[in-house]
This record gives sequence, structure tokens and C-alpha cells, in this order.
Amino acid sequence: MQIRLMLAVWACKLAIFGSRLLGKKGSSMPGQLAFKICPKVLKLLSQQVKKEIIVVCGTNGKTTTNNILSSFIKAQGYRVICNSVGANMLWGVCCAFAEKANLLGKLKADYACIEVDEASCVKVFPHMKPHLMVITNLFRDQLDRYGAIDQTADLLKRALAISPETKLLLNGDDPQVAQFGENTDRVCYYMGVDADAGMTKEDAQEGQLCMFCGAPLEYEYHHYSQLGKFTCPGCSFKRKPLDFRVTEVLMNEGLSFKLEHNGKTEKFAVNYRGFYNVYNIVLSYAAATLVMGEVPDYQKVLAAYKPQVGRMETFSINKPVILNMAKNPAGFNQAIATVSQDTKEKDILIAVNDKPSDGIDVSWLWDVDFERLLGGNVNRVVVSGMRADELMLRLKYAGFNEEQQIKCRTLKEAADAAVNGAGSVCYMLANYTAVFPLQEILKDMEGKSAHGE
Amino acid sequence: MENKGLTIGHLFPDLLNMYGDKGNILALRNRLLWRGFSAEVIAFEKEEPIPFDKLDIVLLGGGDEKAQLLAGQRLQGQRKELLDYIEKGGVMLALCGGYEMLGRTVSQENETAMGLNILDICAEAGANRFIGNVVIQSAVTGEDTKIVGFENHSGRMNIGNYKPFGKVILGHGNNGEDGNCGVVYKNLIGTYLHGPLLPKNPHLTDYLLGQAFLQKYGEPVSLTPLADVAEKEAYDYAVNRFING
Repeated sequence: MQIRLMLAVWACKLAIFGSRLLGKKGSSMPGQLAFKICPKVLKLLSQQVKKEIIVVCGTNGKTTTNNILSSFIKAQGYRVICNSVGANMLWGVCCAFAEKANLLGKLKADYACIEVDEASCVKVFPHMKPHLMVITNLFRDQLDRYGAIDQTADLLKRALAISPETKLLLNGDDPQVAQFGENTDRVCYYMGVDADAGMTKEDAQEGQLCMFCGAPLEYEYHHYSQLGKFTCPGCSFKRKPLDFRVTEVLMNEGLSFKLEHNGKTEKFAVNYRGFYNVYNIVLSYAAATLVMGEVPDYQKVLAAYKPQVGRMETFSINKPVILNMAKNPAGFNQAIATVSQDTKEKDILIAVNDKPSDGIDVSWLWDVDFERLLGGNVNRVVVSGMRADELMLRLKYAGFNEEQQIKCRTLKEAADAAVNGAGSVCYMLANYTAVFPLQEILKDMEGKSAHGE
Repeated sequence: MENKGLTIGHLFPDLLNMYGDKGNILALRNRLLWRGFSAEVIAFEKEEPIPFDKLDIVLLGGGDEKAQLLAGQRLQGQRKELLDYIEKGGVMLALCGGYEMLGRTVSQENETAMGLNILDICAEAGANRFIGNVVIQSAVTGEDTKIVGFENHSGRMNIGNYKPFGKVILGHGNNGEDGNCGVVYKNLIGTYLHGPLLPKNPHLTDYLLGQAFLQKYGEPVSLTPLADVAEKEAYDYAVNRFING
């Protein structure tokens, strides 16, 4: 078995190297190869993690939550395995481990922070049993790929059944997530925002029916989508007392809030945009606290954290240009809410592709609250991507006039048109396969702008 | 000119909101407003009674299985009113789950539930889901045209002797076998083409508006042609890419 493991690790490393030479991200095929050579590769590698394995799962915020968590743990001097670029299916997870193993198949790691796709947990857990699993949220996402939320929740329940010892850290504000803590002896922790943060009610309100009795849930207040302080009028299901309780959320240029845990209150003030980042930050802080006991340098780590591709990533191209990935109604609505908070005159680029990994159904664009951008001091809206025509039509019905809308076939033309708008800031929202090429274009433009070209 | 207009009833957006059904409401409403007509949209949520006799167009959308069953229960108490509305020629668009609800049976995962039995059509659960872009050829508007949409359903619908909404050119339609897509009965159109069907197919939207005016005022109301630049481009893109590759 040791020989097979070694061969698998070698093959995986070689394949990662090779595919990077070819300019690919190299995160899935090498893992597949390793599995073929040694079906136990992930099991044998993950067992070598000295302390704990933490899995982060959920529709939105997985990568950010997992990467901040990994930074918290690394800051305490521990060695951490992390699939930081977001390859989060079975093969990608395997890759993250194999890459860090030495040529004898030995792994020197204290912790593993692994984000796993909702539908893949059931495939990953037979090989790797996490000590703690963080679930960020469950939103409607790419219905042609994942099906309705119920189906995703069922897959997660099946995954959890494989790993009965796994403790859960749950977004207590999300009934779709909180349901995993019901009717179980499993240790569960809840985080949530325990005050009305003054968010507006949006259109994409999902999962409002009680998962246990079918009655429509009632809310004392809503944060966004189905997140809020909920109670079921038909049964005993309601938001649990919060182990990590957020209050006093303020959003101006950055985010600030208070977090209560075990009778202690910590203050957070970060230069992040978007209310949803309160959940990402607190879930990662809570997970780090649960596995390490304390996170002394959290402010420093948060200030130094560099976001991954297209997570409100800022470029300087004669003006601030902010790129954000959004790929489902909840993600888009949060991005739009964040854009609208910026009162400066702005130009906007929206790019949507419909490749298989994006979801080939673009119906959800009609569930996004683009209307909200109308009052947001928007100068120009540029649309691009494979479904630029659908976006153009969607924005027309949202109330934008023809003079404001520009359609560009290529992302490069679109980026130029958006950056050259009269606004003093530019926001770009793009879905999965559009965000990576757009980031390359922006890096290039930033480089040229720095050289005065 | 007297300000003519229509009242649109949106049934249960709190439950049936899965695939961008809001787009259909926007298309109906805006195409009235852009022509100077008045447009009232009433969203019916919870258990409130629906005054079908006050409505000119009814939209019944799709939702997940639980929501679909709950919506069916809500409508059950008003089955007779809905049946009268349809029999009298009331304009209605029923999509996806809403389409199935009107028949004798509704497909749920691994089982079949009872529908409202308004039309003698029935859906059964299929082994796999039909998911993808759809183009159909339909003469429902009086002109033989293509209609573009998207389907995502496991139900297999058999419409018996009713007229189909159109013939499938691309996709699966009612059951993947007989080439039919949807159903037409008087001024009711039912189809698996979900969500934002109307914005991209303005000729269909205008047909529904025209029928609703005829029904309400007893005579045709002229609908001035709109430029429809963005509509045509989105429609042409879908037809060209999905049919002509």
C-alpha cells in the first residue's frame, strides 16, 4: 500500500506540475490520476493530519471562509493543508493533500482546512472524516446542476450520516443550514447576527417553508434571502440560541461589528465590503476558536488577508476597479447591495456565461434585484459574456434606458468600456467562468496604467 | 383616449418563485405601460381568496415539490372559480409546476400526487430530469413562429386530445416522445418552459395581452408595435445558437 501511495503522490505532483506548465490551474485531473493509482490515497494522507480536519461547505462564501480560517491557524505557527484556489470536489481535495505530501507519501500537517462542494461531501467523507464541519448557507444555485435546495440538503444529510463524530458549526440564521442541528445528538454550534441590521427585503427569498412541517416560516427580522430570526408557527423549529452572537453591525467604507462568545465580547473592524462577509469572518473566527481555543491575532490576520480572485478584488486603473464573482441570485443580490452602498458615481460591468460549470440555465437573472441598481448613482452599465443579450434585456426591464446600456461581445471591450466611463469608481460582477479571464484582463490593464500607458 | 388597462394576477409568488417567474410579470406589465395602458399586478400570497372575475391575466409559476403541493392545496378551495375563469376564456399562463397542477396528476419525485383536475391531462414521474434549452414551433399566436425557453422537469406530461402549445424543435417538451410541448385550451397556455418565457418572446406576450383585451372589452384593442431591439437580439441569439449551433 505504501508503494501505491507513493506512486499516487508522485503521479499527482507530476501532473500538477505538467498542467501548470500548460497554463492550467491543475487542480482536478491530477487528483483523479492519484485515485486511479491508489484508491486509498486521500484516506492515507488525511489520516496523517496531526490535529483536526475542518471542512467548509455551503453555497456562497466557502472559499473566503476557508481561506480566512486557514490564515487564522497559520498565524499561530501551525502547518495547514488548504485547497485555497477552490478546487472543492473529490479530486481537487485529494490534490491539496498530495501536493503537500513528500515523495514518501508522508505529510507534515497540524490542521487541514478543506472547502468541499455541497454535492461532493458525500463522496469525500468516506475517505476523509472531518472533526468539524462549517456550513455557511444554502441558497438556490444553478438549478440545472444541483437541483432544488431540498436535494442539496438531502445530499448533505447523507454525507453527515457517514461521519457521525463530526461536530457542526452552523449559520444559525439560515433555516436551511440550522436544520442539520435538529433531531441529532451531534455537537452543534450556532453563529448568527442577533439584531436587525436594517437590510432591505429582497425578492430572492428562498427556503421559507419549514423543513419539518411545511408551514411558511415567520421572521422577526430578515437579513437577506432566507437568513434572519425565524420561527416556525407549525412546529418547534426556530433559530437556536447563538454560541457566536453578532451585534451592532455597521457598514460604511468597511465593516464593523461586535461578537459575543462565552461571555466575552470582541470588536471587529475590517476593510471588507458586503454584509455577507460578517458571516464569512465570524464563521472562520468561530471555527478557529473551536479548534485552537483562541485566536489572539485575529485583527492582524484579517487586515493582512488577501482575497481570492474576484472576491471584491480591487484594481487600480486610474480609478478603483472592483471585481466580484456572483453566480446565483443570493450572491448577486448581496453584491448589488454592496455596490449600492457606495454613493460615488459608478460604472458597472456585468458578465454572465452559461457554460456547464456556470449552469446553463440563466433564468435566475430574472430573480436578481437589478432594479436596486437604478437608484445607485450608476452612470453606465456594460454587459458582456455569452449571455450578454439576456442581460441587456433583463436590464431594460429593470428600468435602465438604452443610452446607459452598452453590450460588448468580448470581455476586453467590456472592461475598456466600463473603465472609460465617467464614474469615479467601477464595479464588475461576473459569474464563474467569466471572472477568471476578466481578472487577467484587469491585471494587465492595471500594469499598463501603472506604467502610464 | 380612455385609459384602458389590464389586471394581472400573480398566484403565490411566495411559494412559486423558483425560476425567474418575475420576468413574465415584468414583461406583461411593462409592455402595457410602454403603450400607455394601465397595468395592475396583484400578488396573491398565503390563503387569501382570489377574485378571478376581477383578473384579466393569471400567472401560475413553478416551485419546488413542497411548494407546488402547498400551492395546489391553496387552489383546491377555489377550483371551481378557476375552472369558470378558464372556461369563460380567461387568459392564463401556467408554467412548469403550475402547468402540472392543472391536470389530474402531479409528478413528484418517485410518486404521483393529485392535481386540480381542471384539464384532462396527467403528469407522471419520469426516471430522469429533462434539462436544457428548448425551441418550439408554435402557431398559437396565429402566426407560425419559434418560441425559446428552458425546461427542467422530471414529469412526463400526456395531454391526450388537447392541442399542444407547440412542436419541439430542440429539447424534450411534454414527455420527450410525442414531440409536443405544452397545452393550449381556450386562452390557457400550459408549458414546462419555465421562468422568464415572456420577455424573450414578445410576440407571445403581445398575443396574451391582445386576448386579454378582447376578453375584457369584447373587441380587439390595437397594440402599437414596439421597437423590441433588446427582445429581438435575445431571441435571435437563443434561436441561432441553440438551433443553428
